Amino acid sequence: MKWSRLRFAIPAAIATLALGLTACGSNLGGDSGSGDEEGPIKIGAVLDITGVGANLGVPEQNTLKMLAKKLNDSGGIDGREVELIIKDNQSTEDGAAKATTQLIQDDKVNLLIGASRTGPSLAMRPIAEQNKIPLISVAANASIVEGSEWVFKTAQNDNVVIERILDDAQDKGYKKVALARDATGFGEGIADQITAMGKDRGIELTATESFEPSATDFTAQMTKLRSADADAVIIWGITPSAGLAQKAYKQIGVDKPVYQSHGVGNKEFFDAAGDSADGVIAPMGRLLVVDQLPADDKQADVIKAYVDDYKAEFGSDPSTFGGHAYDAWNVAVEAFKKAGTDPEKLRDTIESTTGLVGISGIFNFSKEDHSGLDASALILAVAKNGRWNLDKV
Amino acid sequence: MFTDFLQLTAAGLSQGSVYALLAVGLIAIYSVRHIVNIAQGEFASLAGLGALWLVAAGMPLALAVVVAVLSVTVVAIAIERLVIARVKNMTTLISIILTLGVSTLLQALMLLLWGPEARGLPAFAGSNIDLAGVSIRSQELWMLGALVVVGGGVLLFYEKTRFGKALRACAEQPVAARIVGISPVLASIAAFAIAGLCGAVAGVVSSPIFLSSWSGGLLLGLKGFVAAVLGGLVSFRAAVVGGLLLGMLESYVAGYVDSGFRDGVAFFILILVLIVRPAGLVIRRAEARV
Repeated sequence: MKWSRLRFAIPAAIATLALGLTACGSNLGGDSGSGDEEGPIKIGAVLDITGVGANLGVPEQNTLKMLAKKLNDSGGIDGREVELIIKDNQSTEDGAAKATTQLIQDDKVNLLIGASRTGPSLAMRPIAEQNKIPLISVAANASIVEGSEWVFKTAQNDNVVIERILDDAQDKGYKKVALARDATGFGEGIADQITAMGKDRGIELTATESFEPSATDFTAQMTKLRSADADAVIIWGITPSAGLAQKAYKQIGVDKPVYQSHGVGNKEFFDAAGDSADGVIAPMGRLLVVDQLPADDKQADVIKAYVDDYKAEFGSDPSTFGGHAYDAWNVAVEAFKKAGTDPEKLRDTIESTTGLVGISGIFNFSKEDHSGLDASALILAVAKNGRWNLDKV
Repeated sequence: MFTDFLQLTAAGLSQGSVYALLAVGLIAIYSVRHIVNIAQGEFASLAGLGALWLVAAGMPLALAVVVAVLSVTVVAIAIERLVIARVKNMTTLISIILTLGVSTLLQALMLLLWGPEARGLPAFAGSNIDLAGVSIRSQELWMLGALVVVGGGVLLFYEKTRFGKALRACAEQPVAARIVGISPVLASIAAFAIAGLCGAVAGVVSSPIFLSSWSGGLLLGLKGFVAAVLGGLVSFRAAVVGGLLLGMLESYVAGYVDSGFRDGVAFFILILVLIVRPAGLVIRRAEARV
């Protein structure tokens, strides 16, 4: 009997261990040379290309590759080639930290871009700060740049997104909202912000649920939101999880209006949510509604050019996430043109960038504001028939 | 409150039916060859992504699903012929390491072929039902139905048909089975075909709700393994009950404790069962089996 137990227990234990073996590395970049003043300018990007952030990381990777090729075809920066090294962090914090260290120590990059989501971006931050290398994140949570010296970001801040949501809720006379949020960095602190910012508008947060970005079943959270006393619900996450949450919400038979965050600014949201997306309101950049913008919109031309280039190159529509990467690249390139590769000068130049028209908004960085965008970077979009439609500028 | 409980139960049962189907596939192989197939969950991912690919190429959903399931069954047979059958002295331990390798290989192939994004098939035919405030998605009924039809079919095959009984004889007494004319080669092929079929069906019916991705199979397969362990790796009935229980327990933990603990439930149960009751939920257990 004893032997049979043991014989059975060993394979079972090993099978459990197998879970730990799934994380096996894959580097997409190469490495070469050292970074002196004459050689190529090196930009290292750490993106969530595989794992839960894939819907964000893939269009970002495409965009960066496209822009790098275009720049080098037209002669680079002051005759210097720009070498783009992209690494996949597999949507993990430790993957992001490892890739960042490699890019700085082995590849000697002059500037870093990434990561796609807040958690991995926060993992990159201290490494960039310690090594004094400028980092431009393409993720949203304001904590990425709060009080930082070397870190910037191009996605609209979460607090301005909440501001737009609560303003709209106030206009519609909602008094109570309930929240289902991403359990990782992107959703961190959102409940507190809603509570604080809701006070001025007479809006109370009555319930908060959280979900993992890798989750597939949302019945538990949505059942609780169904019983929550609220006039409207805010779902705060990225696709596909936010789309699946939306679907579960509708299928469970709740009909209270839903707000989503700018984490759903892509077409994949509709792949996950299907018809249940109809009526969802979300603040986001102008990219997905570019064809509906007023004629005098300052960003329209830049966005249209990007959409056309992206479509021609990859045969699919870009997402707002690709737009964040586009902006990060342009902020970096503009700074390299003015400052060269000296890190201090590079950082100071990014801090003094103003009026830069991008995909996600018009950037005005300063020493105090490393995110560069205010509420005007957002429009309100409403989901209808499998696409985003402009509701309010 | 009671409505919430029933809602969680419904979600848990449908999720559990996927675990149960995967467990049936695992036991189908284990009871014939004493092989633990870590790549079981990959059959589900492969079928889901394959069907998605066919649908995107213009094939009607129903046909795409059937073609994907049959193709994955063929893939399972190919794995048996090309990898498993080549090993002379197969032990359970070797089988785990070997199939873990197969699992990694399949994941890499799926990543290369279909990219990293998780996607879902369109929902199958049917409309959602609302029962006294508990809403049940039509796809959940498909998932439970698939368990009843496929899982039940496999059970009847192994326990009631001559060929099924012969398969099990191969595991208990390989030499004797050969003497009485049962081909161990054929038995092994049949076992893998059944496992491939079960995994593939689980993959396509769950894809509309839980999505398919290149990386999702391993965790799914391990949860199926936990369900199979509840069945002592031999009893289909206990494994099906185990799978459904696991699904419900996950749902309750997510609903009443914290959704973050959801994936931990399976492994907590695994450890608990291995310590307290290694034979699983099987009640009639001959102590003589050493």
